[in-house]
Amino acid sequence: MPIINFEFAIQEIPAVLKGVPITLAIAVVAMVFGLIFGLLIALCRIYRVPILNRLFIIYISFIRGTPLLVQLYVFFYGVPVLLDKMNQSFGTAYNADHISPLLYAFIAFTINVSAYQAEIMRASLNAVQIGQMEAAHSVGMTTFQALKRIVLPQAFLVALPNLGNTFIGLIKATSLAFAVKVVEVMALAKIIANDGYHFLEMYLVAALIYWLICWLLEVLFTFVEEKMRNKEIKQKKMNTTISKDLPLRV
Amino acid sequence: MILLKHIHKKFKNNHVLKGIDLEVSKGDVVTIIGPSGSGKTTLLRCVNYLEKPDEGIISINDLTIQTKKPVKKDILQLRRRTAMVFQHYNLFENKTVLENVTEGLIIAQKKSKKMAREIGVDILTKVGLADKINAYPQQLSGGQKQRVGIARALALNPDVLLFDEPTSALDPEMVGEVLEIIREIASGGVTMMIVTHEIDFACEVSNRVVFMDDGQIIEQGPPDDILIHPKQERTRKFLKRIMKEPDFTI
Repeated sequence: MPIINFEFAIQEIPAVLKGVPITLAIAVVAMVFGLIFGLLIALCRIYRVPILNRLFIIYISFIRGTPLLVQLYVFFYGVPVLLDKMNQSFGTAYNADHISPLLYAFIAFTINVSAYQAEIMRASLNAVQIGQMEAAHSVGMTTFQALKRIVLPQAFLVALPNLGNTFIGLIKATSLAFAVKVVEVMALAKIIANDGYHFLEMYLVAALIYWLICWLLEVLFTFVEEKMRNKEIKQKKMNTTISKDLPLRV
Repeated sequence: MILLKHIHKKFKNNHVLKGIDLEVSKGDVVTIIGPSGSGKTTLLRCVNYLEKPDEGIISINDLTIQTKKPVKKDILQLRRRTAMVFQHYNLFENKTVLENVTEGLIIAQKKSKKMAREIGVDILTKVGLADKINAYPQQLSGGQKQRVGIARALALNPDVLLFDEPTSALDPEMVGEVLEIIREIASGGVTMMIVTHEIDFACEVSNRVVFMDDGQIIEQGPPDDILIHPKQERTRKFLKRIMKEPDFTI
């Protein structure tokens, strides 16, 4: 008998592929909401919003300083306990058993990603020259209008490579979701492997699927980035002026 | 029509403006000169509140701001009645030349896109950039950028046009084209405040010169009085220093 049963592996690929939509769903939901929250957190930090700024510093430090797996467990086992306590205190009747594991994953991954996105967005906003905000103010825009029309579009361009990396990291991180009973690619691979003790085969199948997804994403991000930077690359050569590279402030 | 009363500004322990009183009438072209660090740029930036004065009163026509307790709405109004040309141009990097000019008209002044476009094309033609309206700032030379900067400010039809060392970042051969445009605007009766190191230009274009040193206005008056027959010792010293003929030739 060969070391690797390729026949079995190939035969089970379609079964594992069924987990791809869940994997992508977790990644996309966490990415989108993480970006929204991350941006809000970054703005709170840049504008030094009282209390919130301090709070978010601790939040970011905690989330980035603890393993995602631990966060998932804390969330998965913590929320039911909290709900029980709440039901006792307020006489409500929320049942933690009715919460889909996927929802836990969505929220936990979003929280995790938002902390990283916050730092990416903060750095990118700071990379936009302060003169851009001043010029927007000088033509009579409000700070909100200036952010929306002038500063954020430029910051996103700066953030793009980092956001791409985060997304690829996120795809791989979703494999942890099986720890909280979400049936995605990794979980399916494991379940099938259990059947006939084909662990190596199934993990290789999972690895290939993750690689394929990430490779496709890399191609996509490179394409988007190039498209957006097209103008800039052409123009860089002609750009001979000195620009003030001061961080954005109020 | 523009009245600055008792303006004070400190950066930490550095007292940059020590009680500035200045009046600018409609149609005046006021040039502010002085050694570096004298506070002239800070003063100009206080006029449109890019720098927040610690003390004093700023008023433009019927709008008065008590800088001790400024109202947000008033600051926005102040910025919508003024426009600024920056030393480092600060063109919106993510917008085309035409959009740079129309942005303030559409967003701040709520003009229709069509009308803004007409104004934009008209003014860009006046500054000689009709063929560049769809270019991005990075594709322009320094002189062209500054002409866009001037067009952007002028399009807003402000009560006062503020120039913050508009030629200091330019290559020498481009200074002329920018000064030429400022000269034209000045002859059109637009109220202007100019911070500059171009003494000859100040003499020619302005009807009043203000000499500042160490956060104070030392003296002010018609260009001939200040630049040719200064009364104050400090003014004389400054002029002597910058007018001094070079004792070497290249």
